[in-house]
Amino acid sequence: MWHLETGIGALVVATGLGAAAVLAGPDSMRWWLLGLVLVGCAGAAVVVPQWRYRVHRWEVSANAVYTQRGWWAQERRIAPMSRVQTVDLAQGPLARLFGLATVTVTTASAAGPLQIEGLDRPVALALVDELTRKADLVEGDAT
Amino acid sequence: MSLPPPPPSPPLAPPVADPEAWHRLDPRMLLVHPIKEVGKFLPVLLGLVVAGSASGVGPWALLGVGLPVGLGVVRYLTTTYRLAGGRVELRRGLLQRHTLSTPVDRVRTVDLTASPIHRVLGLATVVIGTGSVASDGGERLELDALPQPEATRLRAELLHTTTGTDATGTDATGTDATRTDATSPGAGTDPEHVVARFSPRWLWYAPFSGTVLVGLGAIVGVGFQLVESVEIRVTEDDLAAIGQSFVLTLVVAAVVLVTLLAVGGYLVTNGGFVLSRHGAAWHVRRGLLTRRETSIDVARLAGVSLGEPAALRLAHGRRVGAIVTGLSGSQASSAVLLPPAPRTTGYDVAAAVLGTAGPVTGDLRSHGRAAITRRYTRALLGALPLVAAVVAAVLAGAPGWLLATAAVPVGAALVLAWDRARALGHAFLDGHVAMRSGSALRSRDLLRASHVIGWNQRATWFQRRAGLVSLAATTAGGKGQIRVPDVPVEAAIALAEAATPALVGQFLEER
Repeated sequence: MWHLETGIGALVVATGLGAAAVLAGPDSMRWWLLGLVLVGCAGAAVVVPQWRYRVHRWEVSANAVYTQRGWWAQERRIAPMSRVQTVDLAQGPLARLFGLATVTVTTASAAGPLQIEGLDRPVALALVDELTRKADLVEGDAT
Repeated sequence: MSLPPPPPSPPLAPPVADPEAWHRLDPRMLLVHPIKEVGKFLPVLLGLVVAGSASGVGPWALLGVGLPVGLGVVRYLTTTYRLAGGRVELRRGLLQRHTLSTPVDRVRTVDLTASPIHRVLGLATVVIGTGSVASDGGERLELDALPQPEATRLRAELLHTTTGTDATGTDATGTDATRTDATSPGAGTDPEHVVARFSPRWLWYAPFSGTVLVGLGAIVGVGFQLVESVEIRVTEDDLAAIGQSFVLTLVVAAVVLVTLLAVGGYLVTNGGFVLSRHGAAWHVRRGLLTRRETSIDVARLAGVSLGEPAALRLAHGRRVGAIVTGLSGSQASSAVLLPPAPRTTGYDVAAAVLGTAGPVTGDLRSHGRAAITRRYTRALLGALPLVAAVVAAVLAGAPGWLLATAAVPVGAALVLAWDRARALGHAFLDGHVAMRSGSALRSRDLLRASHVIGWNQRATWFQRRAGLVSLAATTAGGKGQIRVPDVPVEAAIALAEAATPALVGQFLEER
């Protein structure tokens, strides 16, 4: 899925940059620039999803959720189960094509939603159930 | 104009005795609303009056005055509130009725605001902050307005304090309120405990609070605009005639003007500032003309942000803000605990609010060589484009002495980096997470460990190579997080482990 998403993104960028290169570049270098842009975007489309996939982790323990995502800038987030406020499950059109889903765990903080992308739908459903149950056990208003 | 609030059930009971009754706002608002509305409608009214006198139709103008007055009456008649069954409820609107309702234990802050008109009439507007995201416009719990004693009593009930010896004193209705949900633990006859009080000396810090720079920028901008729009044809003679002294006078005048404005603004906003603890809430009272009283529930106070921007540090001043659960950045004015004031006062206030002085003045752990190196490289990289531009200009044929100007950005970058590197620090002191970073807008954020919701660690490829992460402790208040860049990985884990035991450790083997 990421391959496809990044591929689409890269295609858009490539078209934009390519058009700019063709229109604005000096005559002699025009096609060179275009080629450079295309190769760069294609490379990114192949490498970035792989990289992202290798980084991407998540784990749920008895009292906390942990995610790790990103590629160039990697981010790790930890939220204790007692502070979980909502658990969302979302499926975009592309994700539905592949039978995948994204689980988002929000806390009371404006800065800390935890996203787990690209889970198999059954796994995601089970995860949502598990998180909801565990978060339910804890008293308090989670702030 | 004395419309008595008609409580239906007991005919002669005072409104307080019947907790279920819907209360009206104060009838004196019938005076305030028309004045405000007339102000709003003033252009229209003027137009009407002119049209009326021109065409000789008198009644039109009368209608124009009648409309705002009518609006005020309608608003008064349709707005009711009550505090019952542990909920605050507010009904308003004639055509589109709103009923807002919130549990009392979700009330985070209570603001009492009194504009000059309100103060003349002894009224105050009560704004109840509940931490709802949609707390603007129509969804705000705003009671405009109640009599001052009634407002203080309501605030006391909402925040579970009791009205002991309040500054307003005239507390007649509140004492006989024997309400079950207003009994607060141990706040019985707690006197108001004043922590900081405005002193004229604080005015010295006003020009250093950043507004001056903004104001100067604005003046320069406006000046350029004027010059451009007027399009003066400047000749050599004119330039000679202007002379240096004139320019100098202009600059000095601008600086003086802006400084005066800053001091005046500071005085109007913060005059009569008092920070006090009263039962289980902090009260901040300030404002020379429009009196604002903010109350923050102690249990919701997640931490304190000690603002020490560069200019203010030069003047040995500090400012203090509160990190309050459920108050986001957009409601920042509610979270001011201390305007720019002397450093010692700032420290005292922060220590008093946190209940311990350790986190405020305690030493922070610095972040080591790698982080410092990173500060310098980043600052110098920022200066690089400017240097490159100068070099390019010289290469393109500009005079060689221009090269010297390239030293300016480099020097500035070095100073900035030095200051930023010095500022970096973090620690876990007395149950508080302390983080400090920044230079021009440096601040030291102190967050109670029990209010830490989670941890975010972010590292780019360069940071990972240097073994650093940007660490953020998330919380439900303020900006949602307090963060500090470039913590060594082990130190970051140690800090998280100290503040929230048994949370980070279980995931450690993966790191």
